[in-house]
Formats: sequence, C-alpha cells, structure tokens
Amino acid sequence: MTTPTWDEPGGPLPSEEFRAATDAIMANIERVIEGKEATVRLALAVLLSEGHLLIEDVPGVGKTKLAKALARSIDCSVRRIQFTPDLLPSDVTGVSVYNQETRDFEFKPGAVFANLVVGDEINRASPKTQSALLECMEERQVTVDGTTYELQAPFMVIATQNPIEMEGTYPLPEAQRDRFTARIAMGYPDPRAELAMLGAHGSLDPLSTLRAVSDASLVRRLIATVRDVHAADAVQQYAIALVTATREAPEIRLGASPRSTLQLLRTAKAVAALEGRDYVLPDDLQTLAVPVLAHRIIPTTDAQMNRRTTDAIVAEIVHRLPLPHERSRSPYDTRPSGDGRARYEPRGH
Amino acid sequence: MIGRRRLGLVAASATLLASAPLSAIFESWTWLLECILAVGLVAGAAMLARTARLPDWAQVASMVVMLLVVLTWIFPSGDEVMSLLPSTRTFEYFGDLFTQASADTRSYGVPVPDRDGLLFVTVLGVGGCAVLVDTLTVILRRPALAGLPMLAIYSVPVAVYIDSVPALPFVIGAAGFLWLLVADNVDRVRRFGRRFTGDGRDVDVWEPSPLGAAGRRLAVVGVVAAVILPLAVPSVTGGLLSRLTQVGTGSGAGGFGPGAGGRVNLFASLSGQLTQNDTREMLRVTTTERSPFYLRLGVADAVTVEGFSNRTPTGNSLSRGLPDPRRDSGTNEATYRPYHANVEIKDLNMALAPIYNSVVDTDGLDGGWSYDSNQDVVFSTRTTTRNRQYSFDYLRATYTPQQLRTARSLPRNDEFRVRYTSVPKDKVVDDLVATLTGGERTDYDKVRAIYDYFSADNGFSYQLQTAGTSGSDIAAFLTNKAGFCQQYAAAMAWMSRAAGVPARVAFGFTRGSSRDGDAWIITNRNAHAWAEVYLDGFGWVPFDATPAAGVAGSTRSQWAPDTDAVDPLPSASAGGAAPGAGPSADAGGADRPDRAFDDPSLGAGGASLSSGPSATTLWIIGIAALILALLLVPALRRVLVRRRRHAATDTHTTTRTVTRAADDPEAPGDSRAVTITTESARARADAHAAWDELIDTMIDYRVTVDPTETPRHTAQRLVREAELSGSPAADSAALLGRAEERARYAREPLRGGELTRALALVRKGLSRTATRRDRLVAALMPPSVMLRWRLGAADASARWIGTFGRARDAMSRWSPRRLLARAR
Repeated sequence: MTTPTWDEPGGPLPSEEFRAATDAIMANIERVIEGKEATVRLALAVLLSEGHLLIEDVPGVGKTKLAKALARSIDCSVRRIQFTPDLLPSDVTGVSVYNQETRDFEFKPGAVFANLVVGDEINRASPKTQSALLECMEERQVTVDGTTYELQAPFMVIATQNPIEMEGTYPLPEAQRDRFTARIAMGYPDPRAELAMLGAHGSLDPLSTLRAVSDASLVRRLIATVRDVHAADAVQQYAIALVTATREAPEIRLGASPRSTLQLLRTAKAVAALEGRDYVLPDDLQTLAVPVLAHRIIPTTDAQMNRRTTDAIVAEIVHRLPLPHERSRSPYDTRPSGDGRARYEPRGH
Repeated sequence: MIGRRRLGLVAASATLLASAPLSAIFESWTWLLECILAVGLVAGAAMLARTARLPDWAQVASMVVMLLVVLTWIFPSGDEVMSLLPSTRTFEYFGDLFTQASADTRSYGVPVPDRDGLLFVTVLGVGGCAVLVDTLTVILRRPALAGLPMLAIYSVPVAVYIDSVPALPFVIGAAGFLWLLVADNVDRVRRFGRRFTGDGRDVDVWEPSPLGAAGRRLAVVGVVAAVILPLAVPSVTGGLLSRLTQVGTGSGAGGFGPGAGGRVNLFASLSGQLTQNDTREMLRVTTTERSPFYLRLGVADAVTVEGFSNRTPTGNSLSRGLPDPRRDSGTNEATYRPYHANVEIKDLNMALAPIYNSVVDTDGLDGGWSYDSNQDVVFSTRTTTRNRQYSFDYLRATYTPQQLRTARSLPRNDEFRVRYTSVPKDKVVDDLVATLTGGERTDYDKVRAIYDYFSADNGFSYQLQTAGTSGSDIAAFLTNKAGFCQQYAAAMAWMSRAAGVPARVAFGFTRGSSRDGDAWIITNRNAHAWAEVYLDGFGWVPFDATPAAGVAGSTRSQWAPDTDAVDPLPSASAGGAAPGAGPSADAGGADRPDRAFDDPSLGAGGASLSSGPSATTLWIIGIAALILALLLVPALRRVLVRRRRHAATDTHTTTRTVTRAADDPEAPGDSRAVTITTESARARADAHAAWDELIDTMIDYRVTVDPTETPRHTAQRLVREAELSGSPAADSAALLGRAEERARYAREPLRGGELTRALALVRKGLSRTATRRDRLVAALMPPSVMLRWRLGAADASARWIGTFGRARDAMSRWSPRRLLARAR
C-alpha cells in the first residue's frame, strides 16, 4: 500500500456526494455534541482545510468530547496524548531505541504518527514538550536523530486547552499558536440542548456507540474538493486586507502572519464547500476572521489594560473594513456617523 | 529686541503704504518724498532708542522730537538753530502754515498743487500717524488699534472726494495694515519657541507660519470683498468703475465741493453728481416762467488735446450792473421775454451761482459775486453758494429755425471765431463732420445736421459712464454711441467747432423733475451738460443733444427739437414755419418731463415705460422656468441613470460566444483558467448594473448603505430595515443580492434572473413602507444623485487642493526668505 502524499489527495467529489459525506460526519458528531452546529461545522471545515484545531474553553463544556467524536467519525488512525507537566518531547514525536536483536537503533514512532491526533489539555505540558509539535504541524513530518519521517494524510491535530488564566498551565508559544488554523470556543449549551444532553448521556455514553461514517481516503477526496473551490480576486484581496488590518490596527502589537492569510482562505473554501457553494464569499471570511485570526494576534498593553479581548478587536476590524470593489465605484457610505462605528483608518507611520 | 526693531520698520512701512490714498489729492509726488523722509527718520529714531534700551516713554519722546526736527528742517522759517532746532519763530511759522493750509483747502479743488501749507499738514499728519502706529504696535503690542490712525489717513481723500476714491490705493493701504498684523503675530508666535506645522514637522524660519494660514486667507478674502462688493451693487458700479478707469489718466475729479470756481473740473463734478447712489435735493427754483429752460452754472470753452475744460471766470462785480442782451446784440431777431426767478440753495457749495440765461438783475448776491459776460456765469472768488437764497430777473430768448437761419457765418479770421472754433484735428471726427455738414449752407443747418445725428435712429443711447472729452475720446464715443450728457455735449460742441461754428459746453441743471408747489426741485440727478453754439446776431444758442430719455427734467426747444420724439418737428427745420412759437418754445419735449413727474424712478426715462411690464413678466416667467428646470435636473438625471441600467438588465441578445482564454496570448497556461464568454460577461455586467441601481434606490429611500457589508448582508438588512419581509420585494432583494454575489465572486454569474422586474418590485416595496416626504424626495431630489454630485465635487476640490499644495511646495523652493535663510 502506497502512502498517499499531500500533493495527491485524490479526485474531487461531485457536490452531491460531498454533501452526503459531510452531512453524515456532522450528523454523527451531533449525536454527541448537542446544539453546537456552528462549532461542529467549523471543526469539520478545519479538517477539510488541512488545518489544526485548537478548542479552548473552561473545563466541562465538551472540548475533549468534540475532539474524540470527530476522530471517531472518521475511520482512520487516531492517537490521543494527554498533555501533562512531565510529558517529554519524545513521547510526542517518538524515540530511537536500541534493538538488541538487530543490534541497531530502531525508531519507535510517537503519538503524532496518526491521521488524527487529539492533544488534551495541551497547555498543561511544558513549552519544551509543546514545541515538539511545531515541526509536525506545519511540515507534516517528524525528524528524530537526523532522520525525517513523513506523516500520513490526512493529518490533523485537535488540541484542547483551558484558558490560560487557570492555574498550572503554560501558555502556548506564539509559533505554536500560529500553527493552529482556528481556535474555537465551545461555549455553554443553551438550556434546551443541555436538557437533551442529560437525556442522552444519562444512561450511556453515546461516544462509545459512535461509528465511523467516513475513512481517510474519503476525507482526502473531500479535501481535494475543497481545494477546488473558487476564490475570486476580490475575495483574496479582502482576505489580505483583513490580515493587513490586524497588522496596522493601533490596538495590536503583533498582527496575523502570512500563514494565517493562507489558512483563512483555505478555511473559507471549506466553509463555502460545506454550504454547497463552489465559490468563496466575503461572508465566509467575515465569519471566520475571529476563529482564524484572533488567537494569533497579541494586543498592546493598553488594549489589555482596557480588557479588550483579541476576539473583540478582530470583530471590530471586520466591522470597519470596507469590502474591496472589483469595479471602480464611489465608496458610498450612508451609515449614520454618530453610532461610534467610525471608518477604519490605517495607522500612518 | 530684534523682533521689536523689525516690527518698528514694518510699522513705518505700513504707515507709508496706508498713506497711498493721499496720492489722489495731490498733483505731484513731493508729499510722498517728504513723508518717506519724515516716517523713515521717525522710525530710525525709535530704532535707536530701542537699541539703547531706553524706556517706553523715551522711545515715544524720541519719535516726537525727531518728527519736530524733520518738520523744522523741511519747512524752515529761516530762524532755526543750525537749521534743525526749532525756535519760537519756527512755531509761529508753523502756525502760519496751518492758516495757509486752511485757506488752501477752501480755495483749491483736488488735485491740489504743492502748497507749503498743505504739505506741512500732510507731513505732520502722516508723521504723527507713524508715531502713533509705532507706539500702538511696538510698545503697546496692539497692532489692530494701529488701524485707526491709518483709517484716519484714508478718510482724508474720502472726505475731499464726494464720490468714491480709487480702489488701488485702498488695496495698498489695506495690504500695509495686514502686513503689520501678520508681522506682529509671527513675532508673537516666534516667541513661543519652535513653530510646528499640523503634521508635526518643524517650520523652517523662511516658511510662512501655518498657524496664520487661515488668517491670511481671511484677510485676502476681506480685502478682495471690500473691493469687489461695491462693484456688485449696481448704483455704485459707475462710480468705482469709472474711478478705476480714471486712475492714471490725470483727469482728477472733484465734487461740487468746497473747491473754488475755476479750479473745479466741471466735467468731473458732473459725473460725480450723476453717479452718486442717493438723490439729494440741491436747490429749489421758483420762476414766473411756465416751462423754464436749464439752469446754467458754468462753461467749458477751452479746448486742449485733453478735451474741453473750464477756465477761471473773470469779470466785474455784480454791483456794477449787468449787460442787457436786447441792447447789446445789434441785429438780434430773437424774441425776449422777461421773467423773475427765486433760487433757494439747499445743498450746493460752489463758487458758481446757478442762474438762467441772460440775467439782467440780481438780488441777494452781494458784492462778493461777479459776472463773466463772456461765459455768462455768476461767480465768486471769496464765497460760495452755501445756504444762499437769491433772486434774479432774466430774459428768455426764443428763436425760430427760420430766424436762426438768417445768422451769417463769422469771417474766418474773426478773432472770436478763431478763439471758439479752435479744436485739435481728429480724423474720425473731422470726416464725420464733413459728411454731415457737406450740403448745408447756413451755420444753423450745419449745427442742426450735427444735432440731428445724435438720434436713436443712428444708434445713440444713454449710458452713465465717465470718459474724457479729448478728440480720441469723442471719436470713441461716436463709435460706441453710448454715453451721457457730458459726452453728447462735448461731442456736439467739438463737432460744431470742427464745422467752423463757435461752440462751447455749458454746465448746470435741468429744470428739475418734480415740483413742490411753484418751486422746481432740483437734485443731483438733474446735473447736466449741453452744448451752446454761437450764431451771429443771436448770441449763444443752447442745443441739448443728449437723449431725453436719459435726462431727468430734459427740455427741448423749437430750434432744437427732440430727435427721438414720437412726433418730431422736422418740418420746422425743413423750412416749415412755426408762426405761433409760444413763450417757451419747447413744444416737442414739454410733455416728456411732465409725464416724468409721476415716475419716481427718474432717469429711467419714458422709453422703457411702454415695453416695461410685458418684458418684466417675460423675465419673471423665464427665470421661474429656469429655476424649475434646474430643480428638475437631479430627478431627470436619476431617471436617465435608471433607464440606462434597465436597458442593461433587460435584454440578452448576444449569442456569440468567444473564448477569451484561447485567444488571449497573455492568459495563464492554467488549465482551470476561467473561460470568459461574452454571455457570462454580459450577465455579470447586468448583475452589477442591477446592484448599483438597488444601492441607489436604497440611498434614495434613506436605507443605510454600509460599504463593509457583503451583498448578501445588504439584501438581508434591506428586507429587515425596510420591513419588506413576506412581500415579493423580499425575494427580489434576495435575488438581486445573490446575483451580485455570484457576479462578483463566483466562476459563473447567475443567469436568467428577472433583475429589472426584481428592481421594480423592490422599489415598489420601499415606496410603500416609506413616508410621503421620503417618497417625494426620492422622486424629485434623489439623494443618490445629490450624493454622487457631492462626492464628485469633494473629489474635484481635493484634487485641486492637492495640485495647489504641490505647486505651492514647488514655489516655496524659490521663496526669497528661504534663500536668504540659506545664505545666512
């Protein structure tokens, strides 16, 4: 069996098949996670955009459950790492051990050698261990003792973490955060969903009965379909404008990276495909700007002192930034001026 | 201290600039040289005192002392110590100069020659002003107050001139004052320390202060407005425009001011009276004559290249008696009738007394008054007509054309004829005179030929504007054929002279245009000039060639009937007898002024009366229609734009499909390159046109348009905000949003959508939920059109400001201040 490479994900699927496949995955996950359709859809979009997902929220809202449900829905290799303060990098990547029979060092693959890697409570491990993920997340390979090992496709890291205000955690380094395509928050379920959860989870854990509805090769074809989604020039310009705006906004010390532009557009393609479109809309970018960009930026001290969250800053940028026009047209703006939504103006240097 | 010294120099220069208006009242420039000397030395004294760090009072004292020294030096009595330090004798002499100046102001009209008294007062005044300005600006740091002494200087020519003073000196003076203000403020700002521009850059020493930019602009606008605004007021136009055109020609004008007889330029006085805004009653005349002719005041009978001018009258005192024309003219065939007139001067201050022709006896004019028998004027060298009341007996001569035809031409070498026919050659005038009088034999017929030429039939019209009376001016007038009494009179007299008939220009008043009981009320509007022609045996016979319509109180005579009258009397000149020549032979023109009594707008004349109302109505209708049409322009524009867009969204006739990717050599080799067909391009353009129309419709109905929103969001919000949900308009809005979204972002645009119908539905839905006022505004004054125009105007002005700013930056490279700063 030849290992499928990243460049040959397989042929794209017709839209009906794509729809059927993705609907099946989503329905499967929603058997476990009630009333979180948008979150589930976003998680799936991250998978289809070949990215990694960071689920961040307070304990007990179903972070791990979502990660596991997604992993179980797809019939592929799944590994789980419980990040603890004493976890070592070699536990993640793998280690070479001396084989007495062959009288040679033999590579024992670590936890990342799987299609889906669920990293639980990632910020409980030390930065040293967290850094072990850097190479595999971006380059989809692991280098141990000078030997590079390719990872399989698809490859996705789903990490959960508690907000960094909590005790006994190490905040993720900036480089690590930038490698996560999106950060999503679970949020508390609404009362109705919570009631449904009580009913469903009261007797039996539905996770244990979850069957896989998809496999790695199908996921690869789904990914190929997403890659084929059209992004018009205007949309690409808008993506660039959004990311540029985070670099120039006065409240932000460190803006989003070029990698984030790419991931923003990829995720937007996935979201468009999930909605049955073969073209990206600026609406997709607007929806994704907060999950994709907010965890990468560092606000200024002033903004932090003013309790401005990065989510709010990015949301405001989205709100202020005019759409690029592919046609030259007078920029109408008849918004009332007194509503505090002043036009966004880049900071001069 | 350097700043203060510099400011002192600016103050001195500003004072000199502010004295520029004085140039209008002096004939030569001596006063300026002396003023420069005085102001310069005063400023120098102040500078020295400041260099020596003397206290403020000592600075003022030094300036005053220096002014005294300068005055002593320029106006020496011959008894000074070292010709610089004044003695008691000097001050006595200064007192004499004051007396002399006050006498001169009474006896001279503007422009005045260099008289020691006047020069002394001028230098003292300007020097005093320099001291005041310096004190206020440099010592008290109140440069705005320094405007008051400067204004005092300006008020001198204003007081001397009855009407407007030339504008240019005013601009110079104002510029001086502004310079002073600017210099003071720059000095003030410099003392703060570093100067900044708005963008945080330091201002170089040579650069003008950006803080003052607004002030500078305001100041320039103020000065320009002060000069331009009077031009916009119609009644002032004549005066100021004529002044502007007169600057430099040397024909200084004077009002009927305190200037004495001969020195007053009667032409200028006349135009000055006629161009005043208001109507002033000048005198009242009561006479036993039923329909009197004009009141005479003065005569211009001297001709130079400059044109007609009046001479100082000479003659004997009235107390010696007056000549009687019945006795003096031997072969006189004229009819004389005696009358008595009473004159009450209300507002006239001249050394010439208005009288009728041929006065034989006066009462109320004392021995200070004399009579010039040549000019037939009563004048005084000592007193004026101010508030005077006098009466006189006079003879009214009337002639018939036949009688006048009997007058023979004077011999060519007759001294009198030579004197009153001398006129410089002007080819245009002479040719015209030769053409007009070629076939005429008698002097009267020649004069009548010239007189008749000034008719409306020949294109002549009345227009109040000042011009000279030189040969070229008259030639120009004969070409333009528009002028007022002084040009008609001068041209008539000039041409008569050219034809060999003695002629002169008479000045005075028409008989008045309104009555108060028996009295004729004569205002400044009645000031007038006409020609007098000498016919042997009859004396000086008046001819008024000015169109009667332009003259308030115009009167015509039998021998010179109104050439423009509806029922003229050419029969009289054609040889027809007028046997019943009445006591006042103005049969032809008598009705006209009488009718004018009811017309308060004198000077408008009767000519416009007939066609007036209908023309006015037409004008009003025309202007109203124009305003209406202008109001409809935005609505029309909106309709046109909508029609164009609908035309784009309506039909799909193109069937030819062209693959651009295959044809275009620059197309990328990517196999997935989008194949652009004309059809899809067309559909895309249609969707864009429909979307633009939707946005404009939203603007028209005051639905907010947000450039950060996607088409989908905009359509959703439109449905929400305009409460369209549930109606077909909601689906239409969604369809339009989808079409635009696909057109912008998808590979293939939406096709087959009925966008025009969708637009109509949305518009209908919007107008249903909108208020009546919004509907009306959307139809008549579409906000979308107004917004686009406003944006266009803003763009244009921004571009202009940008261009202007770049040009200014480029210019500032050559700023002398910058170059000086570099050289330093």
